[in-house]
Amino acid sequence: MDSHHSTPARRARRFAALAGAAVLQTVVACAPPGSGNTATVPTDPVPVNIDLGTDPIELTLYDGAGLKKIDEALIAAFTERHPNVTITPRYDPDEVQAVNAPRVLASENPPDIARIIALPAAVANHQLTALDPWADAYGWNTLPPGQSAMYRVDANGIRGTGPQYTMASGFTVTGLYYNKELANRIGMVEPPTTVAEFEQALASAKTAGLIPIMAGNKSAQVTFLVQMMLNNALGPDAVNGWVFNAPGATLDTPAAVDAAAVVAGWAAKGYFPADTNGTDATAAAGRFAAGEALFYVSGNWDAATLQAKMGENVGFTLPPAPAGSPVLAMSDPVSNFAIPSGSDDKNAAAAFLDFLRSDAGRQVVVDAGFAPSGTGPVPATAPGSLGAQIQAAFDILVAADGQVQFVQNATNGMSGTWLPQVQMLVAGRTTPGEMMAAVQSAYEQDLLR
Amino acid sequence: MTSTAHAPQTSPTRAFPHRVATRPGRGHRAKRALTGWLFVLPAAAVYTVFVLRPLLSTLWYSLYNWDGISVGSWVGLGNYRRVLTDPQLLSSIGHAFFLILFFTVLPVIGGLLVAALLQEIRIRGLGTLTRTLLFLPQIIPGAAAAVAWVWMFSTNGTVNQLLSAVGLGGLTRSWLGDFDWALPAVGVIGTWLGLGFCTILLMAGIGKIDISIYEAARLDGASFLSTFRYVTVPALRAEIGVCVTVTIIAALASFDIVFMSTQGGPGYATTVPGVLIYQLGFTESRVGLASALAVVLTGLILMVILPIQRFFREK
Repeated sequence: MDSHHSTPARRARRFAALAGAAVLQTVVACAPPGSGNTATVPTDPVPVNIDLGTDPIELTLYDGAGLKKIDEALIAAFTERHPNVTITPRYDPDEVQAVNAPRVLASENPPDIARIIALPAAVANHQLTALDPWADAYGWNTLPPGQSAMYRVDANGIRGTGPQYTMASGFTVTGLYYNKELANRIGMVEPPTTVAEFEQALASAKTAGLIPIMAGNKSAQVTFLVQMMLNNALGPDAVNGWVFNAPGATLDTPAAVDAAAVVAGWAAKGYFPADTNGTDATAAAGRFAAGEALFYVSGNWDAATLQAKMGENVGFTLPPAPAGSPVLAMSDPVSNFAIPSGSDDKNAAAAFLDFLRSDAGRQVVVDAGFAPSGTGPVPATAPGSLGAQIQAAFDILVAADGQVQFVQNATNGMSGTWLPQVQMLVAGRTTPGEMMAAVQSAYEQDLLR
Repeated sequence: MTSTAHAPQTSPTRAFPHRVATRPGRGHRAKRALTGWLFVLPAAAVYTVFVLRPLLSTLWYSLYNWDGISVGSWVGLGNYRRVLTDPQLLSSIGHAFFLILFFTVLPVIGGLLVAALLQEIRIRGLGTLTRTLLFLPQIIPGAAAAVAWVWMFSTNGTVNQLLSAVGLGGLTRSWLGDFDWALPAVGVIGTWLGLGFCTILLMAGIGKIDISIYEAARLDGASFLSTFRYVTVPALRAEIGVCVTVTIIAALASFDIVFMSTQGGPGYATTVPGVLIYQLGFTESRVGLASALAVVLTGLILMVILPIQRFFREK
């Protein structure tokens, strides 16, 4: 073979090397990832107008598929009031929506109204419209401070302060469901309001051979109990401050460790089902409905299912508090709706957000089984129903300004830390002290502190 | 080899077919090469866009701290340092290696035995039904299989019912919620999925073995086990190599089964790199760190697979 002639094989190798180098160059030669993203450029402010006129307006709304029913009812009620507006909803599966939202906001044609879960990141990336001009025009400054805080992010990415970016379609509310028949059996006449009463009921249930608390800890439901104790021990400001990433916020304190130790103690006494770590939330709700346990710690999202399966036999009460302390409960937006910077009609989108706190909007949300946004008369519910009990409880909670954010939402990665940690806590594989230290350490890592 | 036997018949020109074919000159040869490249082009383009480019992008992202949206900041090898020192990330790699026992060792050994047994059955004219049943798991997506197994492993599930039925009620537990048993339980799902694949592949291999060898062995009075040991296994070297390679990659890069059955829990008992990469990249928006873990995982898989490939190719 002539040595100066390149063989096809050798030429093929050379071609491959060149092609590889070309690809590497196109990738490597470009600036840091994300620098070509136009959606991160701030847009010009839009003049505020609260009159939608009569010209046709088309809006798009982006949310999780689990909220399709409530969103469509809200859209129907809103467009009845503004017939010139059409709102086209678009849904992704709930988990996917949370993951996809940043990319949908960064797209060429973002929606006009979108549920935002990672609020500080979206604000830092200039993907959302600051709503203060509309807040002035519509009078949103009368919202309860506890609600208003959920809508705000400041220039440093700290939530709870700064301009308003969102409005909740409605609220979740967490507490204790209880089985009335089993409560009678152990002599629990009224649901517990203090932690002491709660612990007494748990002990009686255990003695009676019942499972005291149903918890699907494969879905981290024991975190609800840990947080109920944390809320009581640290107070709403400290817990909300932690979730809102306030500077210096910490859950690694002796009081927090003691709070977690209470729940670890319940686990050690066998107050949870033995297979709690292998039971997910859906299965837990089913087993509670089937009469396996006295209490079930969850939120109003389970109300419709439980009402349907248990009828009159199920009751709801807010989390127990220490005697004399205000009532506190985890309660956050069902959909925290924002107006993306790239929206075509921010005025119409803002009108939809304002509608959420109107009497009509509040009634729609309550009919869908959630708690209403804003303030006003308690929307109508069927008397004596589970829904009525939950609305009454929520009204007490808002009056006490006792809405506390879920600790799992403190950072994007936080639920991925709480889940394994509470699973280890109930299995005795970690101590309350180690757990709170691990949680705090993950929190600081996520926030690059 | 039989080359010496054929040598006298080989003419000098046939010994250098390449040179003969290229005699007409460089222009013709270049044209032929170009034609070859044109045939390769569509596949190469797709491969470049959908495999090479993402691979290189991953390498590039792994050097940045990036949330997937805003402008990333250069951290050099910082993400790799984190991957190689973080105990949780390291333990997830350990779990993936543990899964090799269930994804590779058991299916390959089981597949060999089943294939050899089916070979016996085939001789007696049976076996199609067995073959179909064993291959059925292979047509079920891993995610769906995981969901079904979650039910079977639950407190009131089939596994515990069977244990109770045979008097082993004391062993029942919520398998996927148990810190010590969750990882082996996830492994069993992989074994169930992998067994059919290995069996079918190995049976295809056995089909190539001359049946007269088995008959000769039987005439010589060889037992099933010695036929298995001295005829079946050595003849299946290449097929076993494929089984081992494919299933080890499935173990180390496992995602669907673990994600659908335990999501890495309870605690961190079943975390595997695949699930962590997903969580870091998509739910925590730490694209750089996720990319670094993905690159390390790819490197690890290559480090394990390449020697295995060489071992099974050697004669």
